[in-house]
Amino acid sequence: MTARRVLGSALLVAALFAYPFVDHALQVHTVHAVTDAMIYVMLALGLNIVVGYAGLLDLGYAAFFAIGAYTMGLLNSPVLGSPLYGHWWSFWVAIPIAAVVSALLGVVIGAPTLRVRGDYLAIITLAFGEIIPVAIRNMGDISIEVGGVKLVNRLNLTGGENGVNPVGRPYLPGVPFETDPVPWYFLILIVGAASLWAMNRMRDSRLGRAWMAIREDETAADCMGVDPIKTKLLAFALGASFSGFAGSFYAAKLQAITPGAFEFNVSIMLLCMVVLGGMGSLKGVILGGMLITLFDRLILAQMTFLVRGAGRSLGIAALTTVDLTLWRWFFFGLGLTLMMLFKPEGLAGKRVRAARVEVDDAEEAAAVAAVAPLPRAESIPPWLRDRVASGLSRDGAGGPILEARQVKKSFGGLAAVSQVDLVIPERAIVGLIGPNGAGKTTFFNAVTGLVPPDSGSILFRGQSLIGLRPNAIVARGVARTFQSIRLFQNMTVLENILVGEHCRMRASVGGAIVRPPSVVEEEARAREHGRALLAFVGLADQADELAKNLPYGDQRRLEIARALATEPQLLLLDEPTAGMNPRETETLTEFIGLLRRELGLSVLLIEHHMEVVMGISDRITVLDYGSRIAEGTPAEVQRNPKVIEAYLGKGYEAELARA
Amino acid sequence: MDWHEVLVQQSINGLTRGAVFALVALGYTMVYGIISLINFAHGDVFMLGLFVSLTIFTLLGMARTLVGWELVTILPLVFLATMLGCGLVNVTIDRLAYRPLRHAFRLAPLITAIGVSFMIENLALLWQGPAPVPYPDIFPSVDVLRDWVGLDTLVYLTTKDLLVIGVTAPLMFALQRFVTGTSWGRAMRAIAQDRETAQAMGINVEKMIMLTFFIGGALAGAAGLIQGIYYNIGTWYIGFQAGLRAFTAAVLGGIGNMPGAALGGLVIGFLSAWSDQYISARWTNAIVFSILILVLVFRPQGLLGEKAVDRV
Repeated sequence: MTARRVLGSALLVAALFAYPFVDHALQVHTVHAVTDAMIYVMLALGLNIVVGYAGLLDLGYAAFFAIGAYTMGLLNSPVLGSPLYGHWWSFWVAIPIAAVVSALLGVVIGAPTLRVRGDYLAIITLAFGEIIPVAIRNMGDISIEVGGVKLVNRLNLTGGENGVNPVGRPYLPGVPFETDPVPWYFLILIVGAASLWAMNRMRDSRLGRAWMAIREDETAADCMGVDPIKTKLLAFALGASFSGFAGSFYAAKLQAITPGAFEFNVSIMLLCMVVLGGMGSLKGVILGGMLITLFDRLILAQMTFLVRGAGRSLGIAALTTVDLTLWRWFFFGLGLTLMMLFKPEGLAGKRVRAARVEVDDAEEAAAVAAVAPLPRAESIPPWLRDRVASGLSRDGAGGPILEARQVKKSFGGLAAVSQVDLVIPERAIVGLIGPNGAGKTTFFNAVTGLVPPDSGSILFRGQSLIGLRPNAIVARGVARTFQSIRLFQNMTVLENILVGEHCRMRASVGGAIVRPPSVVEEEARAREHGRALLAFVGLADQADELAKNLPYGDQRRLEIARALATEPQLLLLDEPTAGMNPRETETLTEFIGLLRRELGLSVLLIEHHMEVVMGISDRITVLDYGSRIAEGTPAEVQRNPKVIEAYLGKGYEAELARA
Repeated sequence: MDWHEVLVQQSINGLTRGAVFALVALGYTMVYGIISLINFAHGDVFMLGLFVSLTIFTLLGMARTLVGWELVTILPLVFLATMLGCGLVNVTIDRLAYRPLRHAFRLAPLITAIGVSFMIENLALLWQGPAPVPYPDIFPSVDVLRDWVGLDTLVYLTTKDLLVIGVTAPLMFALQRFVTGTSWGRAMRAIAQDRETAQAMGINVEKMIMLTFFIGGALAGAAGLIQGIYYNIGTWYIGFQAGLRAFTAAVLGGIGNMPGAALGGLVIGFLSAWSDQYISARWTNAIVFSILILVLVFRPQGLLGEKAVDRV
């Protein structure tokens, strides 16, 4: 930390500490409003985990706010006869309970959304956001009557439309929580600062990167070893627990909660805060939250005052009765729209919109040729050498690394892959070729767990991969690349690699926040490994560049490097040289050969460049219309009449066999 | 009333409600089909339909029960004017708020749509005030079964119910014919399949998207008018609730699928009417939204839609 930053932080802390006293001296009475604003900022920070980090648009976030507030209300209020009420410790005990209850409900509400993506997920959260207030309203007066027998008569669980009032206040000896807003200010400041600290640490951890990877491309994240279910549920649970905190403070501070305080409007206001500040940026969200609350509570009222004054002095009757505070939701709507149209990254966020500038082909080729030297054996990171080697059998003559038998997969009535056998010996490069639509990529997807095969067996080192999720298959040592590059576009090159290392790291949520020495060491090691890997593939200088800003050839190499970061024993490459010029293709072919020669990595290669496949593969399997039509050494396959027919049509067999 | 009379009565209510949901749902489903956007502001265009038609009736001095020839001249004209107005509003929304975001990240247009929805709702709030606005009893109400047919029953089927069906069914039928039987309809379906290829085939994509928004808005406008005539009341926030129910209908039928939207609208109409009767009106929203969640989770392609797969 530089001296300037230390000074800045010290000044900030001093200002935050001095503020209520200055407020008191000036008699401006803004502490109440600012404290309320801080509660909303905390809510917005929780929402930012879900929307900004994990990319899950939550339109019903106020539901968690409600759950936190009602947990506090039910545990610590005389209205519903809570046994906890009336003790000095009640508030302090209720707060963590509220956070835990909210987190649990976050998981419950999050669970059904795991199967859906994007805007469907948004609508599900919206539906929950609508159901929760309805349920709270109706649970104030439950009567169930079956066949004339009253099972439940007018049971009050939530206070119904009237809500809960009063709610127990916190108690500390000598601190006037009843009469003075200043203790509230400091209490929420401390809790807010702690939350912020925790969130900041989470973002720069294994978990934060997993969230962002899910946001960028869920399928690719799954195939790089990130468990999307766990990761998303964690985002929901953590987001909800912050909201539960904020809700319980809100209930205790306001002393009254009603279902109307947790409607859709509130969810949208919180979303406004996150969008205005910048999704994914902590500073931005704080700024957005403060600006919106300030706007809502001060500026609109002051503007109304000014406009009316102007109306009176100008003699315009219509202006004297204007109430701009009625326009608040209009302004929120306008704000959301304008931000999305003109500054979607928010006031403080990183720019997310700019697409990569298309470079002229020749220019790009020249650039690539200049920066892409042949990877050299000496620059293979020692750790990668060790890890891959530790997975190999000692004498190098173990059984096959992958053994697929009778694999079948149909889509509707169409058999994309039928009864395919494929065996990859250890340290072998096997080519998988066939005309377009022959089922090559479907076979890849079956091996990596993206589509479950209808029948057949796939054994990796003798153990079945059938039924495993893609991330579990990666953890066992099978990594892949995609035909159309699927990098995490808005993450840096190094972060892409670190996501690849995800399944080889252990840090948990607690570890990410507390950062015990083991986690610090793990993180440092991961970064060191990542940098070494980037140096190996020739991307060391671009480590901090966003992945989307790389030229095409570099993106391909980064994708392979990311796959290597998962420490695989079997690498599946889906058309790695697609779109490459001859020079790049040659370099890449060389590179694949090097991986096998030096590391003993086994490779399954889908490729259309015949000189590449024929030159590098030990054995080749040919698919056509989903079936295996040939298998053998490159020379055998080239002479196989069925293969010639599949590629060129009938009538060429004799001619080619001669040649 | 006997239990079977109650059931019939609630089913009639469900049918009329469902017909309105279906009209609104068609707008959601058409827009989603063509540009994969949940047009969150669509429900508010429906609300505008109610107030725009009310304003037209008032301006014409016809804010009363229409009689005789007025029913075949004034009423259709107001229908057309309302549909035109709401269609243009929807097109304007698209031009200003969605079109600049066609190539933005996926959630951007949805967030924008929510913003637009808030703006429209609150403009309506300022325009019409917070209290429910009475809508004149434009269409004469006759108890069909007792007064016309002469049946001795407590089931109440009125000429208004017949009007709802008489307007919605031909509109839906005409739309279906338009989409399946005309070259514009074919162009729209082509864009829904693959926008870039459609463009490469010489289809003016933006024009077709505009047309889609226009038709969707016009249908929502007609639904708003029907809502006003049928319930004789309107409030600024009805668009949100009705919009969500109609969206649920679209999802239930299979979003992007037009007969599905009609079917979904009817199903949601029946279910909400029955829930009002047999469970409690207080829980109806919770029940409708639970259906929404269940469909999205377990059958996201809906009743009639096709399954989408993530391409690798």
